[in-house]
Amino acid sequence: MPTQVLYGTETGNAEMLAEDIAGHIGADVANLADFDPAAFEAGTLYLIVTSTYGDGDLPASAKPFAEKMAAQQPDLSGVRFAVFGMGDSEYPETFNFGGKRIEEMMTAAGAVMVGERVTHDASGPDMADDLALPWADALMALA
Amino acid sequence: MHSIAIIGAGPAGCYCAQALAKALPDARIDILDARPVPYGLIRYGVAPDHQGTKAVIRQFERLFERQGVQFFGDVTLGRDVTLEALREMYDAVVLATGLDQDRKLGVPGDDLPGVLGSGVVTRAWNDAPDSTPPQIGARVVVIGNGNVAVDLVRLLAKTDAECEGSDLTLTLPPVTRIDVVGRSPAEAAKFDPVMLKELGRLGAASIQVHGAEGEGKVIEALATLNGHAPEGARCAVHFHFGWVPEAIEGDTRVTAARFARGAERLSLPCDTVLTAIGFDGSRQEADVEGRIAPGLYTTGWARRGPRGTIPENRADAMQVAATIAADLGPGGKPRRDALAPLVPQAVGYAGWQRIDEAERAAAPEGRVRAKIRTRVAMLALAQRGE
Ligand SMILES: Cc1cc2nc3c(=O)[nH]c(=O)nc-3n(C[C@H](O)[C@H](O)[C@H](O)COP(=O)(O)OP(=O)(O)OC[C@H]3O[C@@H](n4cnc5c(N)ncnc54)[C@H](O)[C@@H]3O)c2cc1C
Ligand SMILES: Cc1cc2nc3c(=O)[nH]c(=O)nc-3n(C[C@H](O)[C@H](O)[C@H](O)COP(=O)(O)O)c2cc1C
Repeated sequence: MPTQVLYGTETGNAEMLAEDIAGHIGADVANLADFDPAAFEAGTLYLIVTSTYGDGDLPASAKPFAEKMAAQQPDLSGVRFAVFGMGDSEYPETFNFGGKRIEEMMTAAGAVMVGERVTHDASGPDMADDLALPWADALMALA
Repeated sequence: MHSIAIIGAGPAGCYCAQALAKALPDARIDILDARPVPYGLIRYGVAPDHQGTKAVIRQFERLFERQGVQFFGDVTLGRDVTLEALREMYDAVVLATGLDQDRKLGVPGDDLPGVLGSGVVTRAWNDAPDSTPPQIGARVVVIGNGNVAVDLVRLLAKTDAECEGSDLTLTLPPVTRIDVVGRSPAEAAKFDPVMLKELGRLGAASIQVHGAEGEGKVIEALATLNGHAPEGARCAVHFHFGWVPEAIEGDTRVTAARFARGAERLSLPCDTVLTAIGFDGSRQEADVEGRIAPGLYTTGWARRGPRGTIPENRADAMQVAATIAADLGPGGKPRRDALAPLVPQAVGYAGWQRIDEAERAAAPEGRVRAKIRTRVAMLALAQRGE
């Protein structure tokens, strides 16, 4: 199945991880800031990596995407996606809300999520790559 | 092939190197820092109990480990190497030296013993090389309404158990009262509301907010804090707004801090005054794109002044990197290997890795690292194995 990696970032952690994932599975990678929801294609699997900022908000580079989703209200039936969220348990009340928002936005538009949304914790012991590469491998095996 | 030298391995310098390495994969990029270790305020400013924020370091490790960027630690611009020499060697030189001098209050008594700047204090709490632990008493006045003031309050009010998972190794004094005073009204305070809300999770500090009128997220956050009173609180935190510092009182040491609001006066008895009102340092005039002169650029706090968080420095550094990439002409200066022989004692990335490893290995129970506290010890570790 054709696959694309998308990322939303503010300080670059999600960008580096998305590039690692894309390199690992041999897919293209794009910043959500440069991605138009009209470009979503049915039959493609989108791996979306995003962090969380502010008070549980999307990171800066995912905000224009969220605005376009709201304005365009695209019909994403047939689109499949998976979410790797990045957050920090130092913010317990809004932990990984960025990934959650992306999931809600995509699902509301009719896309179907594959697998469980992952929640990475910057204050936790796991390196993001150690979680994300096996996650991507598992998704590729499903797809 | 082009060569670029970046002075300062803080976030601005590192993000600039990251963007340049992407735009110019063949360029030679060297980062110099006055300290034997990289990462600037990520290591020595960002609070020890905010390890998640420090995690951007993993991106920067990649610069040195995989992208061919070279680190020259313990090299001070102006002492070990001159700007003129660097400009002759490199096609572009970027000043990312930050700003680290505490701004003075500028009122009578601001140099009394017991008055300490936030930079001095936070560097010591972060175990900056050769810093001395500040003498902080039981009654503290914090002057300033930005995030650094919040860091000071939070760390002073936390119990040892609440510092679990941090790299704080000093034992902070058992403070019983903290007054946080800002000159502007609460509505105009520069606090990040999320940082304020974090104070509401303190388990051993009560919080009272005085005179926070108006609207907005800061006001809302202050309202949720007001009246926070965990059982057995050992420290009382009071926020005050709209008070302009008038004088620090005391003969041999601080005894009170006095403020004015119109005709009103507020005198807060205390033994320690911590100022968190920003930073100064040397800055050079640059154009809107960060050019100081042909081939000479600036980014980060050194460019924009002591405002802005890590994300803002990233955006700034990416913009300056784009300017540099666009400015570079064809070819490149031939002398790009000239720096190493000029600074033979520089600590390279492998030296820093030895220090890093030693620090992690020395972490006491409940802490993630114990930083090496002197330059001499750092150099000794770095040079082992060479
Ligand atoms: C106490 C404190 C807490 C903070 N907490 C946060 C936070 O939680 N989150 C956040 O986003 N931001 C935080 N910030 C802001 C953040 O640290 C700054 O935005 C950022 O570090 C500025 O980056 P910089 O690279 O310009 O400067 P710096 O990080 O200061 O880096 C400058 C580097 O240049 C080096 N240098 C200076 N002079 C020379 C010389 N002559 N020769 C060679 N090298 C030199 C220094 O050693 C240093 O490593 C905090 C700031 C402070 C002061
Ligand atoms: C100011 C600030 C606010 C944050 N807010 C949240 C939050 O509300 N919830 C969360 O889970 N993580 C939060 N984080 C943590 C980031 O999402 C985490 O550090 C992530 O790795 C950053 O990835 P990025 O570099 O791609 O932006 C915050 C971090 C900062 C510095």
